[in-house]
Amino acid sequence: MTPRETLEHWQKNGRKVVHEADAKDLIQQIGIPVPDRDPAKGRCVAKLCHDDYPHKSDHGLVRLGLSPEAAKVATDEMAQRYPGGTALIETMEENSVAEWIVGCKRDDTFGPIVLAGPGGILVELIDAAEIRLAPADPQTTEAMVKSGPGARLLSGLRGADPADSGALADLISRISVFFAENADLISEIEINPVMVRADGKGLVAADALIVLAPVAEEQGSLA
Amino acid sequence: MANSNANQPGDGRPSRAEALDVLFNPRSIAVVGASRTKGKLGQAVLALLKKNGYGGKIIPVNPSGGEIEGLQAVRSLDEIEGAVDVVVLATPVGIALDALEACKALDVKMVVGVTSGFSEAGDDGHENEARLRRIMHDAPFYLIGPNCEGVVKPSADLQLTFSPMFDGLRPGPVAMISQSGALAGLMALRLGERGVGINAIVSSGNETDLTAADLLDYLGNDPETRVVLCYVEELREGRRFVEAARRLTDAGKHVVAVKGGRSRAGSRAVQSHTGAMAGDDRVISAIFRETGVIRARESVAAVDAVTALAAGRKPAGKRVGIISVTGGLGVEMTDLAESAGFEVPVLAETTQTALSQYVPFYGSVTNPVDLTGVVLANPTYVGRCLEAVAADPGVDIAIAIVTFVPDQLFIEALAEAYEKTDKPVLIIWTGSARSDASDEAFRERAVPVYDSPARAASGLAALMAMQGEVA
Repeated sequence: MTPRETLEHWQKNGRKVVHEADAKDLIQQIGIPVPDRDPAKGRCVAKLCHDDYPHKSDHGLVRLGLSPEAAKVATDEMAQRYPGGTALIETMEENSVAEWIVGCKRDDTFGPIVLAGPGGILVELIDAAEIRLAPADPQTTEAMVKSGPGARLLSGLRGADPADSGALADLISRISVFFAENADLISEIEINPVMVRADGKGLVAADALIVLAPVAEEQGSLA
Repeated sequence: MANSNANQPGDGRPSRAEALDVLFNPRSIAVVGASRTKGKLGQAVLALLKKNGYGGKIIPVNPSGGEIEGLQAVRSLDEIEGAVDVVVLATPVGIALDALEACKALDVKMVVGVTSGFSEAGDDGHENEARLRRIMHDAPFYLIGPNCEGVVKPSADLQLTFSPMFDGLRPGPVAMISQSGALAGLMALRLGERGVGINAIVSSGNETDLTAADLLDYLGNDPETRVVLCYVEELREGRRFVEAARRLTDAGKHVVAVKGGRSRAGSRAVQSHTGAMAGDDRVISAIFRETGVIRARESVAAVDAVTALAAGRKPAGKRVGIISVTGGLGVEMTDLAESAGFEVPVLAETTQTALSQYVPFYGSVTNPVDLTGVVLANPTYVGRCLEAVAADPGVDIAIAIVTFVPDQLFIEALAEAYEKTDKPVLIIWTGSARSDASDEAFRERAVPVYDSPARAASGLAALMAMQGEVA
C-alpha cells in the first residue's frame, strides 16, 4: 500500500489517533529515519503503543535504557495492563545533540502549515517554534532552521557540537510536503522529538503521532 | 486586467478584474435610496458623489420620483433604460434585497451594498443573509459588502460612500481594503492629512461575494499601487490572501495589514503539541512574515508605516542620521531606532565640519545632532543641516526633528532638503504651529511627517521591512 492508501485504510477503519509504531512505519516510507527495531544487543527503549493512549509516559508505557531481554519483559508487562497495544522495542538514540519538534496542522485561516522548534521538555519552556505554510520547499526550511532562538541551539551553545541542521531542514520539508498532499486525510502529524545528531551524522524520529481527519470534515473542506 | 482574476468554472459573470475596472471608472451609477432627507444614507451618498465632482451619469432611484439634488430620479430600477455600470444600495435591508433582485434583469456590472442587517446582525439578520446568498448565487454581477461604507477612487472623482471621512483625498500610490468602514475612514483621513496619495479605497464589509483576497489581488496588480493597507478581522480566504500578498511583495510592492479580533475557531480541541503551539495569533504573525506582509498592531501604527512606504524611497541599509532642535527628542528617537534594530552611527568628519558652520559650541555634531534653538534664528540652517546629514555616505535614513517653529520658511527649507536627496527622510514635528497653508509644502511632496518619535519609529520599522530583514 502507498502511504496515502494506508491513511485511507486507517480512516475507513475508524481510527482517529494513529499510534507511534504505525506512524513510524508510515513516515519511514517517505524517507524519514527511525530507530532500529528489535535490536539483538545494546541499550533499548521499550514502549507500548496504543491509539487510545497517545501520551505514553503518563501511563508508564515508556522505559529507557533496557537490555533487549529486559525490554521484552517490560513490554509484556505493559501489554497486560493495556490490552490491544503494539509493543515497540527500539535502539535507544544516545548520540543526539538537539531534540526538535516538527509538526503540521491545518490552520483555520491559512490551511496546511508546518511548525518546527526546540522539542522535548523545551516545548513547554520556550516559545521558539518557527511556522511556515505547508508545503515548505527545502530553501524555506533551510531558512527556518536558521531563524529564531532555536537556530542558536542548533549551532551549538557553549562549545557543543553543531547539529545536523541540513538533515533537519530536509525532514521538515518532507513532512510538510507529505502533509499538504494528504491534508484531507490528516488533521495533525507530529514528530516529537526528532533526535538530531552532530553535523553530518543525520537524525532519527524518536516519537511520532498522526491524528486523522474525521470523514465528514474531509468531504466538506477540500474543494 | 489580470488573468489571475479568472472566475470559478460555470460562473456566468465577467471576470472580477473586468468588473472591478468598471467599478473604479463607472460611466453611470444608480443610487437606490437617493433622498432629499438629510440624515438618510442615500442622501449622503448622492451629495458626496456630486460634491466630489463625479463626471459620469448619476441616476437617483426613489419611489416618489421627481428631482433630487438637481437630478431627475427614476421611481424604480426597471425604469432605467440601457446599461448601468454600478448600483449602490442605500436603503433599509428589505428594499435593498428587492433592488438587488431587480438588478438581475438589468445590465449591471457591480453592486455596492451599503445597507446593513445581514450576518452581522446575528439571528435578526439570518433570513436577510439567506436571501442575499440566494440572489447572489446566480447573479450576473459582483457585490461589494453588504454592511460597508463604500468605494472611493480619487483619480476618478469617485466617492461612493455616505461617510465624509474620505473627502479631499489626492490620487496616489496607496490602496486600502478594510472590513471595517469606520477604520477605513480613520486611516484615510489621517493619510489625507499627511498628503499621502490614495489610489483606491474599498470598505469590503461582510464580504459575502468579493473578499479581501480578491481585492488585494486586483489592487496589487494595478500599476498605480505601491502599498496596500488592509484592515481585516476574519480572513475567509487566508491562503489566497497571503499568496496574493506574496506576488505583490515579490514585485517590490508592500502590504501592511492590521488583523483585528480573535478567530472564533481557535478553541477547537487539538491532540498534539503542534496544535497547541500554533495558536491563531502566532500563526498569523508567522505567515504574514513569511509572505512579506508587514503586520501593524493597530490602525494608527499602520498609517505610520504606510506613510513611510508611500514615499517610495528604499533605504540601502539601517544606519540612521538624526538632527534635532532639542537634545531630548533626539535621544528618544535614538533609543527607539536602536531598539528597533537600527544603528545611529557617528557621522563622517566632513559632515561634522559642514554642520559646525551652523551648530553652536554647546550643541552636538555627532549623532544625534543637537542643532540647539540657535538654528531657529535662520530657517535655511535647518535645511542645510538635513542636507548635510542625508548626504553623509554612512547614513541610509535621515530624520529631522522640529518642535514649535511657526514659520513657513522652515517647512519649505526642510521640504527642499527632502527633494535634494533620494534617501528616505522622516520629519518629526511635535508642535501644533503648523498651519494648513504651511503644511502644503510637505503634502504636495508627500514628505512623511510624524508628530512624535514613537510614531516615526513605526515608519522606520516599515522601512526595515522594505529591506526584507524584518517584517
